[in-house]
This record gives sequence, C-alpha cells and structure tokens, in this order.
Amino acid sequence: MKHAFSLSHISAQILKWTVLLFFLSAALFPLVWLLINSFRSNLELQITSFALPERWLIGNYERALQVASLPRLFFNSIVASFSAVIINVLISSLAGFVLSREVFKGRDTIYTIVTAGVLIPIIAFMVPYFSLITKLGIYDSLSALILVYASVNIPVSMFLITSFMRSIPKELEEAAIIDGCGFVQRFSKIVFPLSQSGLVTAGTFCFIYSWNDFIMAMLLTSGLSARTVQLGIKFFTSQFITDYTSMFAAIIITMIPSVGAYVFLHNRIISGLTAGAVKG
Amino acid sequence: MTRRVLLLATLVFVFLVAPLALYAAGTSEAVPGKEIELRWASIWVGQDSKAAPVNAIIAEFNAANAGKIKVVVDPQPDYNAHEQKIRTAIAAGIAPADIWTMKLNPTTAEFYNSPLLMDFTKSFKGDWKASFDAASVTTSTINGMLKSLPFEVAVLPIWFNMDLLAKVGVNAVPKTEAEFWSLMDKLKAAGISASSQMTGDTNAWTSMIWFSHFAISMGGPKVWSKPFTDPVFVKAAEYTKRMIVDYSTADAIGLGAGGSGGHFLAGRTALFSNGPWYAGRADLAATPFFKNITIAGLPAFGPTSNYTVSRIQANICAVATKDKAREAAIIEFLKYLSLPANVKRIAEASGAMFAVASDATPANHLQAQFATLAKNTKVSAQDLEAALGATATLEFGQQLSAFALGRISAAEFTKLVEAKIDR
Repeated sequence: MKHAFSLSHISAQILKWTVLLFFLSAALFPLVWLLINSFRSNLELQITSFALPERWLIGNYERALQVASLPRLFFNSIVASFSAVIINVLISSLAGFVLSREVFKGRDTIYTIVTAGVLIPIIAFMVPYFSLITKLGIYDSLSALILVYASVNIPVSMFLITSFMRSIPKELEEAAIIDGCGFVQRFSKIVFPLSQSGLVTAGTFCFIYSWNDFIMAMLLTSGLSARTVQLGIKFFTSQFITDYTSMFAAIIITMIPSVGAYVFLHNRIISGLTAGAVKG
Repeated sequence: MTRRVLLLATLVFVFLVAPLALYAAGTSEAVPGKEIELRWASIWVGQDSKAAPVNAIIAEFNAANAGKIKVVVDPQPDYNAHEQKIRTAIAAGIAPADIWTMKLNPTTAEFYNSPLLMDFTKSFKGDWKASFDAASVTTSTINGMLKSLPFEVAVLPIWFNMDLLAKVGVNAVPKTEAEFWSLMDKLKAAGISASSQMTGDTNAWTSMIWFSHFAISMGGPKVWSKPFTDPVFVKAAEYTKRMIVDYSTADAIGLGAGGSGGHFLAGRTALFSNGPWYAGRADLAATPFFKNITIAGLPAFGPTSNYTVSRIQANICAVATKDKAREAAIIEFLKYLSLPANVKRIAEASGAMFAVASDATPANHLQAQFATLAKNTKVSAQDLEAALGATATLEFGQQLSAFALGRISAAEFTKLVEAKIDR
C-alpha cells in the first residue's frame, strides 16, 4: 500500500496518463472536429475552423442524404462489401487450409508469392483491372467491384488465415481422420470452424477496405447503379466549389458501418491477429 | 457434408461466375433503328454551377431525339479523380466514355496520339466552326488534328477586396509595381493578410496564377517557350515567395484551393486570384464586401503591360468509332450543346466563359468585369499549367513549398521544375 502512494509511483502514473491522454486526444480530435463541423454552416467554417455551431444544422445531414443519393449508394456499398467478404473468405480459407495443413513441393513458394501481394500498391493495379473489367463486359456493375475487392484482399486474408490455421493442433485432424473424415470434411468440420477468429479478422479487413475504397469504385463504375458511398462524398465538391459541411455530414454517415463493424467484432479481430502473430 | 460443399460451390457461382456471364454480352455497336445511347463522363454535375443548365440542355436534346439518341451523364464530381480515370482508361486502350472533358495541356495533348479520340477536323466546318473562337481552335489543333473541342475558357485576373484596401487609405487598384508593393506593405502594417496564397493541391492553384502573372509580365506572352531556368522565372519565383512569406496568411504553405478561397470569402485577405466561375458563388454574393470587389490585372513587373493570364479550361473529347450512326449522333449532340443560345444559358447561369461566341448577359458585376477585362486587354498568355502541363505543375507546387520554407534557392527551384518539363 505504501508503494501505491510513493512519489515515484504517482509521477509514473501521471506521466503514463498524460501520454495516453495526449495520444487519445490526437486520435480522437479529427473525429470530433468532423462531427462538430458537420453541424455548422460553410461560412462559420471559413471564419473559424473549429468552434461549436451557432445553430446546430441538421439540414447538412438531410442534404447529405438527398444530394448524393446516399441511401442507394449505401445499398451498393453493402452488397459489394459483404459479397466481396464472403468470396474472399471462402477462397482464402480454402487456400489457407491447403497451405497450412498439407505438405507438398512448392508450398512455401506459392505462399510467399501470393502474400507478397500485400506489398504492391493498389494504384499499380488500376490499368490492368480497368482493362480486365471492361474486357469481361462488367464495367459499371457491382460484379466488377465484388470481383476486384475480393481479389485485392486475398494476399492479406491468406496471410492471416494461413497463420491462424497453422496454430490449430494437428492432433485434432488426426483424430478426425481416425473417425473417417476425408480431406473436405477435415476442412469443413474441423479447421474451418476452429478458424473463426482468423476468418473474422480477414473478413473485417476485407470489409473495411471494400467499404472505404474510392480508387477502384471511381475507376470501374460510372453510374448510380453501381457506385458506392465513398463516391457519394465527392458529390459535395466540384472543380472549384466545395460544400464542406454537408460533405462532413456525409462522411460521418459513411463511417458508421465500418466503425460499427469494428466495435462489434474487435475482440475477435484482436484474438485473430494475436493468434496469427504469436503461433503462426 | 456433400450439402456443405454444394452450398460453397453455389455461393461461389452466384457471386462470381454468374454475374460475369450475365454481363459479358454487352457491346456498344449501334443497331439500325435502335436508340443510340451516348455516355458523357461529365464534370458539370453535383454542386458545379454549370450542372443545372447543362442537364436542362441534355434533357431537351433527349426529348427532341427520343427513340434515336439518348445522352446519359456519368457524373464525375471529383475533377482529379476524373483526370486519373481518363489517363487510366487511355493507358488501357479503352475510351473512358463516349464523350468526356479534359484540360488541354502538354500532358493531355499526348492523348492526341491515341486512336481512341475522334478527330473532329472533317466535321468541324461551316456555322459550327464559325461560332468558335479561332485562337482557341488553333490551340486545340495539334499536328493538324482537332481531337478535342475547346469549350470553357477563362481569364485569371486578380480580385481586390476594396473594403480592405480602403482601410489602409487606398481606393484604387495599383497601377505601377511601386504602388503594388506599397499596398502590400500598408496592408501588412495594418495586420491584414494581403493575399490568398497556397502551395497545396496538385497545382498550387492561386500561387500558380500569381507566378504566371509575374512571368508573363517580365517575359512576355511567349515566356513559356524559354527554359524554366531563365532569369525571368527565377525572378518570378522570388516575387511569388515574397507574396507567400511576407504577404499571405500563415497557413499558405501546403494550403489547398478551398482554404485559399475561404480566406478571401471570410474577408481575411485583400487580394485573391481565380477564374470567372468563382464569381457566381452564392456565399461570395452573401459577403458584405461583394459589391466592392474589383477585378483587374496586376501592374507591369516588366516590359509587358495590359496583359491577361488565360486558359482553355475544358476541352470536349469523343470516342473514335467506326460506327457511322454513333459518330453522327455524337456530332449532333456536340453541335447542339455548343449552339450559341445554349452556351449563353450556361454562361449566364454559371458566370463561366466559353470559346463559343454568345451574347450572354453577365449575371453580376463581377462577371461583367471579367468580360470587360477580357475584351480590353491587349495581350493574352496561358498560365503555367496550361502551358507546361500537369507533371511540371505538380513539381512546381511541391517545390514551391520547399522554396517558400527556405530549403532550396530560387535557382534550385526553377532547375527542379525544368527537369519535369517535357519539351
């Protein structure tokens, strides 16, 4: 007890909390700034960049929903993101299962080549994907986005899922084999269910990328039927004029799903990352 | 177990294979008798001041050509993203749309080498050709090809908030270089940020305009043909740095166009630079100093006086097609869009200026001043971006920050930009 009130202990606590609060403030400030300014007028914003609104303008949110057709774009984003996640997780888990549980020649080479994809900047894929999508005849469709989002995320998903699957004890599979399980059953009844944390982690990363992507959505779509919320935000800017506060309102609205996904799934995401990192 | 495998296979098929098969059949070849759909990747959408009149013109065209031609707008509200998409599409050997706009500069002029762009040379004649400004058409004609039609043009003068000038006892725009620097010093002494400068975005827009003014005044209208290491550009760089460091807001280095304009709108800066489209803003009209804004050129900083900085702001391109019906439909729409009566509507609604002559009546006193300025100036020369292209301009903005921060000298600054100019 004496130790708890010693000068050095109190100093350490103060230092710790000061550092933590500083970084917490630095992390939260942009969000708070965005939220408060989403209720202000453009004139107020131009006069002072950070202050409480003279009048809280809910109209910015109404305009955000109307001008950019956000409800439709929201629907498109949901379809594209969830479909991409399903396909991505299916493919990555099947590949991850083979690479983590089977021993064959070239296994490590394949794993290295595929996961090296995380190092390639997305901008390098623009011309090849544009060419591929237009030649497939699926330009300006959700299918184009689903295909690209699922594919682009395969390297990171495979890295996470393979690492996670490697941490599952082989004895479980051996017992399953004794009980008569074949190759597919070992995957579907043993490894896949036990990899939930890894799958959720990979799926969440894929979802966040798909939801937040602007470049590919801009490149591969041209109309309202396939565009996503991130493009909707741009409807508040033109070549020379920007309706900043309505745009901020639109950004707040579009952030809700990805923040929500993280809030509800963060325990699994963290456990998935930890398991993959430590045991993989 | 088999059911699970079947389920997995079905999901993969439903989400991946089936949509590909469903969409794979699409082609754009016009079928005789069938309505031709033309997709226009348009930047004049959303909040743009030209969006409403352009949409109305498209609707009228579609109604008049019902069952034959239909123009559909693919909205491109983000101009930088639009440019990126055009570059990507052309690099991939695919036209970005049936119709699209671009800023013509040495970078985009490379697109003229692409067979994807329609050459308007054969169809651009008669009344259609006569309605266009000949100088703009000449600028847009490269190696005998007219692969983009000049449409929106602009002059880029200086905006003076005369209310702020009056606070320091000045009631007229400066006529000489000495008067100009005296005004700057008076504003600074009064605690007023004299000008809205910026080095951010892809082109350091407002400071790029100031630099262009200095360079043209000292080097004449053909200044851009000189090497960028020429003493004229070194001097223009030094003047621009002086404006940024001594006579601008503290946040000028790294600031974007929105912030630069915002300072002027908020009455924090006395001098600003931008094109006529800015004159149509509702928030500008709502400012207490709106009636006391004067649009003028800068005084002579060298042998060239009474000049204006100008550019072709938007050229219209179309896809080259072997389908004669589609080609004719594109030409028909572009002719309709560029009818003087339609251009007048867009000009009056937005305040923008066009390469097509029209008797548009300016909607406010600022637009009237722009028209008068364009009419009365003897010399017109392009700004840096229009003359030297996107790559050199990007380098200009990035190195302008380093120069303004004192990390490089004026000579080093011009040398770095020169290295990015593709001559």
